[in-house]
Amino acid sequence: MTERRGWTHLLFVLPFLAVYLWLLVYPLLTGVSLSLHRANLFGGATFIGLENYTRLFRDATFRQALGNTVLFVALCVPVLVTVALALALALNRAGRFAAALRSIVFASSVLSVTVMTIVWRQVLTVDGGLLSHVAQGVGARPLAFLSDPHLVLPSLVLITVWWSLGLPMILFLSALQQIPRSVYEAAALDRATPWSVFRHVTLPALTPALLLVIAYECALQFQLFGQPQLLTQGGPNGASRPMVLYIYETGFNHWDVGYAAAASQILFALILVVALVPQLARRLWGRA
Amino acid sequence: MRAWAALLCALVALGGCEKPDPRPSITVQRIFGDCRAHVPKFGKATLNPNGECEIITELLDRFEAENPDIRLNINTVAWPGYNQLSAQLAADDAPDLVTMHMAVIPDYQTHGLLMPMGQGLAKAGVAPDAFTPAARRAVTINNEVYGLPFDTWTQLFHINMNLFGQAGLVRNGEPILPRNAQELLTQARQFHKATGKPYFVQSIVNEKAAYARNLYTYLLAQNEIVFPEPNRIRVNTSKAREIVALFRQIYAEDLTTRDQDYAAATTAFINGEGGVYIVGTWMIGTFDTEAALAGRPLYHGYRVKPYPRLFGQVDPAFVDGHAWVMPRKKRTPAQEAATYRLLKFLSQHEAEWTRSGHLSSMQAVADDPKWRAGPHRRDLVAITNYGQGLPTDVQRQFAIQEMLSDELAAAITGLKPIDEALGDAETRINDMLANLS
Repeated sequence: MTERRGWTHLLFVLPFLAVYLWLLVYPLLTGVSLSLHRANLFGGATFIGLENYTRLFRDATFRQALGNTVLFVALCVPVLVTVALALALALNRAGRFAAALRSIVFASSVLSVTVMTIVWRQVLTVDGGLLSHVAQGVGARPLAFLSDPHLVLPSLVLITVWWSLGLPMILFLSALQQIPRSVYEAAALDRATPWSVFRHVTLPALTPALLLVIAYECALQFQLFGQPQLLTQGGPNGASRPMVLYIYETGFNHWDVGYAAAASQILFALILVVALVPQLARRLWGRA
Repeated sequence: MRAWAALLCALVALGGCEKPDPRPSITVQRIFGDCRAHVPKFGKATLNPNGECEIITELLDRFEAENPDIRLNINTVAWPGYNQLSAQLAADDAPDLVTMHMAVIPDYQTHGLLMPMGQGLAKAGVAPDAFTPAARRAVTINNEVYGLPFDTWTQLFHINMNLFGQAGLVRNGEPILPRNAQELLTQARQFHKATGKPYFVQSIVNEKAAYARNLYTYLLAQNEIVFPEPNRIRVNTSKAREIVALFRQIYAEDLTTRDQDYAAATTAFINGEGGVYIVGTWMIGTFDTEAALAGRPLYHGYRVKPYPRLFGQVDPAFVDGHAWVMPRKKRTPAQEAATYRLLKFLSQHEAEWTRSGHLSSMQAVADDPKWRAGPHRRDLVAITNYGQGLPTDVQRQFAIQEMLSDELAAAITGLKPIDEALGDAETRINDMLANLS
């Protein structure tokens, strides 16, 4: 009887499973298979084993793109999570003003990457950009945010943080609203300082949301593409070329889709590891 | 409630019952931008009448008006448009007619993705003999024609004569251009001292083509073999280093604008922020329009000249051209006839297209004294004879151009030593070419 009920349960998940296998697992396996071939956009695939992978690690442009991507994630995610958490803590209150501010912060996330980059280009470009005018106004030399190899990646981080703040802030807000008021009342009775309340009440209660946001943002920011593609095209000297842009150029401009698929597998593995680390850390922490 | 829902469904169903259009429908996919905002349908451009976008929009409108029995769909894509085209071809959803740089034709032809057009063009009355020799060579592979040439283009020295006059670089109404690299530096310094402005206006940020074209131009002028084999580039040579060193020196001495992308550099030249803008034939019409506007920095002060002979003993020009190609797809006989009718129309109106500044790829147009009497043509028409392209058996020429420009930009702006950048360019390009499939 139990076994029969198990089968009927499986029927309920079957539609999802079918779509999942068709749209995710099958393309993933096809991608793995493609990465073992020398192939272009229009066929002509030849099996070459792991040659695309060994070629990748000899490729200085790929290594630079990998380094840029890791650096971007390392710079972007901590800032994004900290600012989103701070905003959520500050705006976690009733009242029209807080609601209006929440909407304003979230509004940037609604913009498409194209609109957002057009706006930021008007701000950052040396030639007639907003910051350039400000710098000239105070007699300073304008900074080349998008064409200086030392400034270009931090500029992309700034843009991305501004654009992506909305969702993590909302996730933190929703987690904050799950914390029972009684815990805060008990802390108030114990005359706990605001820092103690944050350290011993809020932060532990937020840990699952925090780990979720970190994992989600890591996975998302590893896929950086639109901002550099539209603003810098990976330049100057490859300083802002992330892995996805490298994959795009290799696959679509060079038609080397087997090679691009190999680079995609490495990116996939990287995202998988980074997304799993917070969960593993939490389990290990829990055991300790 | 049910009645309302039924009514709604009926209305939706009726909306879908459009009367079928019996006309053959063809889709044209083109670059050159979208300017419908100032080119009214079937009307004349109210701004920049000699711009590429304005001319092609008017021409296609005119074809539509003169051929009401054909349903013409226009798909405008961002330059150069090949990623979209590749995706469309892979999805078996290609347009009927596409603009394609002649240098790119071999990429698609090798994979059997383009229709041979020689017979169809001849039947439509456009014989390949009508093309200029350079254009015919570029669209012909294995004795078969794969495109209708629409123009020949090259990069040129666009000159602000008003600033050149201030700098003492005009003699008998002609700009004084350098005869060697040292003279270029001397004149550029003289220009900078006299006007307080840089000699060159250059697109430097996000530039994916201009530097490679400069290098090709001056290497070809010295009879250097850039591709000893179709799948091997050779640019880390003493002659290449010398050319790049000149542009590096110009940048280092602030004799060029900096940190400008293509749009900013174009605006800078129009606003008189420098003496020479190195850009293609396609801007001539736009700059001529500017030069006719009183009060503008280019007013009565615009000339355009081929690259001066800075290196080597022959006149330098790297040339390419736009062509119309037919991707391989299933077409009805009526669609095919409609496509060739449009091709014939375009070939007949090529002279109008060259108002943009492009050079003609039709021999009859190039030989026409009236066409030769057009603005700047006297200075430029010889390029159709001596201009050189890359060998047609070199594939991925656009990808090569991008990688080379990437590395050259790094060298010129001082981010990389010149020999390292040229070596890296060779490594990247040769790796791609060695792995073509």
